Amino acid sequence: MNSRQTLLRDVLILFAFAGWAVALPGFASDFVLSLALTCLMYVALSTSWALFCGTTRYLSLATAAFFGVGAYTSALLVETWPWWQVVALGALVAALLAVFMGALVLHLRGTYFAILTFGMTELIRHTVTFYESTVTGTVGRMILVAPDSKTVYYTVLLLAVAAVATSIVVRRTRFGLAMRGIGSDEQRAQTLGVDTRLVKIGGFALTAAFAGAVGAAMAVRWTYIDPTTVFNPFIGFQTVLIALIGGAMTLWGPLLAAILFSILAETLRLQAPELYMMSLGLLLILFVLYLPGGLASVRWFMLHAAWSALREGWRVRRYRWSGQQARDEARARQRARERRHV
Amino acid sequence: MSLSTWIELIVSGLITGGIYALIALGLNLQYGLMRILNIAHGEFLLVGAFLTWMVHTSFGLSPLLMLPVTFGLLLLLGWVLHRLCFRPLTQTSPNLDVFEARGLMVAFGLMFLVKSFVTYVWGGDIRGYDYMSQPVNLGFGQFAANKLLIFGLALLFCAALIVLLRLTLLGKGVRALMQSPMGAQLVGIDTKRLHPLMFGIGLGLSGVAGVLLSMAFTISPDMGQAYTITALIVIALGGFGSMGGALVGGLLLGVIEAIAMHFTSPSLKALLSYLVFIGVLVLRPEGLFTRKGRKA
Repeated sequence: MNSRQTLLRDVLILFAFAGWAVALPGFASDFVLSLALTCLMYVALSTSWALFCGTTRYLSLATAAFFGVGAYTSALLVETWPWWQVVALGALVAALLAVFMGALVLHLRGTYFAILTFGMTELIRHTVTFYESTVTGTVGRMILVAPDSKTVYYTVLLLAVAAVATSIVVRRTRFGLAMRGIGSDEQRAQTLGVDTRLVKIGGFALTAAFAGAVGAAMAVRWTYIDPTTVFNPFIGFQTVLIALIGGAMTLWGPLLAAILFSILAETLRLQAPELYMMSLGLLLILFVLYLPGGLASVRWFMLHAAWSALREGWRVRRYRWSGQQARDEARARQRARERRHV
Repeated sequence: MSLSTWIELIVSGLITGGIYALIALGLNLQYGLMRILNIAHGEFLLVGAFLTWMVHTSFGLSPLLMLPVTFGLLLLLGWVLHRLCFRPLTQTSPNLDVFEARGLMVAFGLMFLVKSFVTYVWGGDIRGYDYMSQPVNLGFGQFAANKLLIFGLALLFCAALIVLLRLTLLGKGVRALMQSPMGAQLVGIDTKRLHPLMFGIGLGLSGVAGVLLSMAFTISPDMGQAYTITALIVIALGGFGSMGGALVGGLLLGVIEAIAMHFTSPSLKALLSYLVFIGVLVLRPEGLFTRKGRKA
């Protein structure tokens, strides 16, 4: 497949997904619709996360910070400003935060970067909590005037489609190539003339803008928001987890994993929240250990090989357990004895 | 402010600092030796704390008796976890950076797993029990007996680990591995046996810290993460791989926190500790967290 064909394939798949999602409110129940909304939210978050963090291998845990900043922007302004401007402003504020944060920590690699982004998210959460409790005297904020649920759904859908489309486009530009270069060898990319600092901050801000917009759009779903819910580090963890399980280097992996996860989350979380969290942890460990490339790195021949290995193993076992093996061995011994007698 | 108030503040800071040092020593051992940034370290503390709470409230056993039991149990758990998770990771990772990133993700998985397990088994409520809470007069101030006991035991365990590393042949091997993994293997130090053992000892110390905590403070499943962060701060303060540094850093952080909380407000505690953490890491990442000569 050459690159034009790949582009055509990706765009067609995106159209198919988007078409289904657009049609969904027409016939689906409220439960399915809320499931789809969660799913779209994680598609947008993890696809945009993978766009920067997957290709450059800078493991950011700050998604919750951008999400929360967007949500707070929305909570403060949604009653007075037009809806689209609120979402855009959420994206802008998050992107500015990312530029500031990136300038401070993007020269550190690996574990440092992950731990620092996590620490900064917590710092922002505690600062907002402290500010709310001492200066304004409240813990959270009520959102009284909110757009109806269909508007929210279509906004999040638009953001998800935009995230995937951006991902498709960026992969084919010099900017995307520069990010890939940073991911494989940062020093070499620098030597070849890539302004790594600028590219990294730009990519980080792009990721943050999507997270901020999604936060701004999702905030009105809750009628009451407080720092603990919108800056919940779990939002960041789950985004990373979905991207890693789907395959952080790939385009469609995060989307695939997001769909699987939101179904798992909605079915399991209400009945057994601890069980859900435990299975998340276990899945993360198993994927990092045995399938570091993610779901999207699975190919047909691997499934085929696994399937035939399973069948072969089952055949051997059935032969043993049915007593056939013991009978055959006894017969062979008997024959050997008779041969000796003759 | 009078002198006795100062002394009381400093001593109560040292008491919490002793626990910080104990947790940080375990984490430092794991990160310094194996480059596993075990973000789930604080969650294993919960296992020790809740186990002690359960045994004490239902069977009336002394928490002191649970110290060796918890240590042994978590050592075994650490051994098994290392064999199941981190050894395959060492074999499949192309280089140390990839290993570190993947190890961090595995540790995040463990964090979810252990925390949810604790919540599932023991519930999400705040727990606590009464143990030796009568005050003791030390001449310069009154302190609860259990807190003094905690301080003494925490220092004892820290000292035991440092003595083990300084004076025994086993400790010499571990220190050699920290200085140069390749060189240590060349002179015949068996990493395959030392790594799981040291990972286990790290977890065991975390469990011991949990037992100690449960004697004097209330425990809840949400506190694990805060202690992990505190341990990270202590390591950042005291220096990477340095056991003495972690001990001093832990005590220092306890005192700083006690004094800062006295003058501002207790709700600022988390904010202050994150601020210290980020400040130290951003301003002085080299020399605090990494080896000499190796840049971050």
